[in-house]
Amino acid sequence: MYVCNCAGVTKRDIDEAVDRGARSLRDLRRELNVAADCCQCACDVKRCLRERQSMAQEVDLSTLGLAGAQ
Amino acid sequence: MKADRKVITALNAVLKSQLTGINQYFLHARMFANWGFEGLNESHYKTSIKLMKESDKLIERILFLEGLPNLQSLGKLQIGENVPEALKGDLGYELGSQHKAIEQAIEVTAGLHDFASEEMLRGLLQSCEDNIDGLETRLSLIETMGLQNYLQTQVEDDD
Repeated sequence: MYVCNCAGVTKRDIDEAVDRGARSLRDLRRELNVAADCCQCACDVKRCLRERQSMAQEVDLSTLGLAGAQ
Repeated sequence: MKADRKVITALNAVLKSQLTGINQYFLHARMFANWGFEGLNESHYKTSIKLMKESDKLIERILFLEGLPNLQSLGKLQIGENVPEALKGDLGYELGSQHKAIEQAIEVTAGLHDFASEEMLRGLLQSCEDNIDGLETRLSLIETMGLQNYLQTQVEDDD
């Protein structure tokens, strides 16, 4: 799904940018040009950022759990 | 004929939703055409034009009631990367934005005894529900017959 229509940025693009290290709306704006024109996507972009970050944290925690079991 | 400020605000909220729909359906129509799905292009184009004609009536009504139609404000478009996403985005628009805006405007206009505006809005609500029906049917067809089979029905015959 397109998250930022002005810059033509999809949810996948944002997820990949977060995986590469983007940590804030400012990082994403710099890298992808989201929320730089009409700015109506800002809330959606932040939500995608939070979701991807918490997903990454869950993956990290579950990896820790597996390591402990060994 | 001067109307209550709240009526103008409610009609402008519907107009904002209509203008958002015009753009979303139009973009989706041309994306469908670009992907080769002429059937979907045609139906979505027609929906966009219908929304334009309805918006025209809204604009005229607002001007008659001595308000300023707001053509500046546009909602967020829900644009898909493929056919099912696009149809879900359209359904999201109809249920989340359009239906709500019209319902609220009907409440306001009826409450303030602007029955002519209310009647016009009831027409818009019927149109909105026809669109919802169409979209739900398409999504249901995708589920029952499979996406590939459905898309095949939307490709133009190359006779």
